[in-house]
Amino acid sequence: MAAGVLPRVRQVLRSPRLVSAVFSCHGQTFSSAAAAPDTAATEKILNFPLTQPDYFHLSELFTIKDLFEARVHLGHKKGCRHRLMEPYLFGSRLDTDIIDLEQTAEHLQRALNFTAHVAYRGGIILFVSRRRQFGHLIETTARECGEYAHTRYWKGGLLTNASIQYSPGVRLPDLILFFSTLNNVFQQHVGIRDAAKMNIPTMGIVDSNCNPSLITYPVPGNDDTPVAMEMYCRLFKMTINRAKDKRRQMELLKGISASV
Amino acid sequence: MASLCKVMRNVSSRSSLLQKHCVCITHRSLYSSDASGGDDKSPERAKGGFAAAYELHSDLQQRGDQSAARRMSSRDETSFASLLRHSALMQMGPAKEKVVIGKIFHIVNDDLYIDFGGKFHCVCKRPPTDGQKYQRGSRVRLRLEDMELTSRFLGATIDTTLLEADATLMGLIESKDTKTKE
Repeated sequence: MAAGVLPRVRQVLRSPRLVSAVFSCHGQTFSSAAAAPDTAATEKILNFPLTQPDYFHLSELFTIKDLFEARVHLGHKKGCRHRLMEPYLFGSRLDTDIIDLEQTAEHLQRALNFTAHVAYRGGIILFVSRRRQFGHLIETTARECGEYAHTRYWKGGLLTNASIQYSPGVRLPDLILFFSTLNNVFQQHVGIRDAAKMNIPTMGIVDSNCNPSLITYPVPGNDDTPVAMEMYCRLFKMTINRAKDKRRQMELLKGISASV
Repeated sequence: MASLCKVMRNVSSRSSLLQKHCVCITHRSLYSSDASGGDDKSPERAKGGFAAAYELHSDLQQRGDQSAARRMSSRDETSFASLLRHSALMQMGPAKEKVVIGKIFHIVNDDLYIDFGGKFHCVCKRPPTDGQKYQRGSRVRLRLEDMELTSRFLGATIDTTLLEADATLMGLIESKDTKTKE
């Protein structure tokens, strides 16, 4: 399905964006193409944010009350529960699982912080979800923050066979955000396993029937209610825009042209 | 002793302000023979459904404000456990036969997709009476059956879920605008 496929991934690496060596080393052979930071100023721009715990002030973006009002704490019924989600549950009320928002808030803070750092360093972020109800919402969110989305049928070798299916030397995403980790037949999305194979960090909104094991930054929360999904999309969009604006600001301050 | 009696009478006359059971206990401790009427602290709980849940919730909030407002710190009020404890969903109890208000957010021909504040929406058929009044944004009354339709089939390890709630449509909410127009 060519229509739903990443539009800008097939870039030949003439002008590489700075890929952080700290986060991931891809299986692709572009070690020669990744330019090392030359000046001390560029190094400072890149390394200083890593020393701060909350450089982008993301803790002010949401509170537990906001998550509560967006119905993030509601899980599925007890019979649908995945065994590995039990640590993230507050309890079960009349057979409905309730997700612990104190834990969710910590996980969400970590996920947003990581996303902000990836966006700050010019990484490619891919929004993935197979929920048809929220496909349009996720595509518009990705467009509004200048990143990519894939909400259609996931072809087999999209990540693992990219150099043959697209062109050799294609750049893969640096972070994949799963807004729902299940596909339409309640199996885990293929992208989670493939991203783990390709050493690409992932963030996933895991509901009480999902498997959080292979996901780098799981965020336990409701993925079925429109209010909750709108909240997540809004939070990630604000994070990415904030990080990109900060980067532009730092570049202007240092007086160097942004390396694209 | 006389002064004590006077104090007790004053106290009993203002019993509407103080909590009834406190007064009764002090009565019993001082005058063992005096048995005041049973402190029936359960008001009209015979009402079922969302009305009772809403009243109970606002009752709790009022009592909480009066007695514990000073004690509760701001951190307690916004902790997840306290938010959950005082939420309408908890106060409601089992979803069977509860009456709630929902809002229609999507319509496909004769199917109305209604959101009532739970995890899932419910889908109801457009009723034959006043069919055209049910549009996007209309508020309706629902009788809930189940918050999520799930069932475990033979040979399955996990429940199969329909990602929908189950409710019966009772009727439109007559808003003040429609009343004044008529």
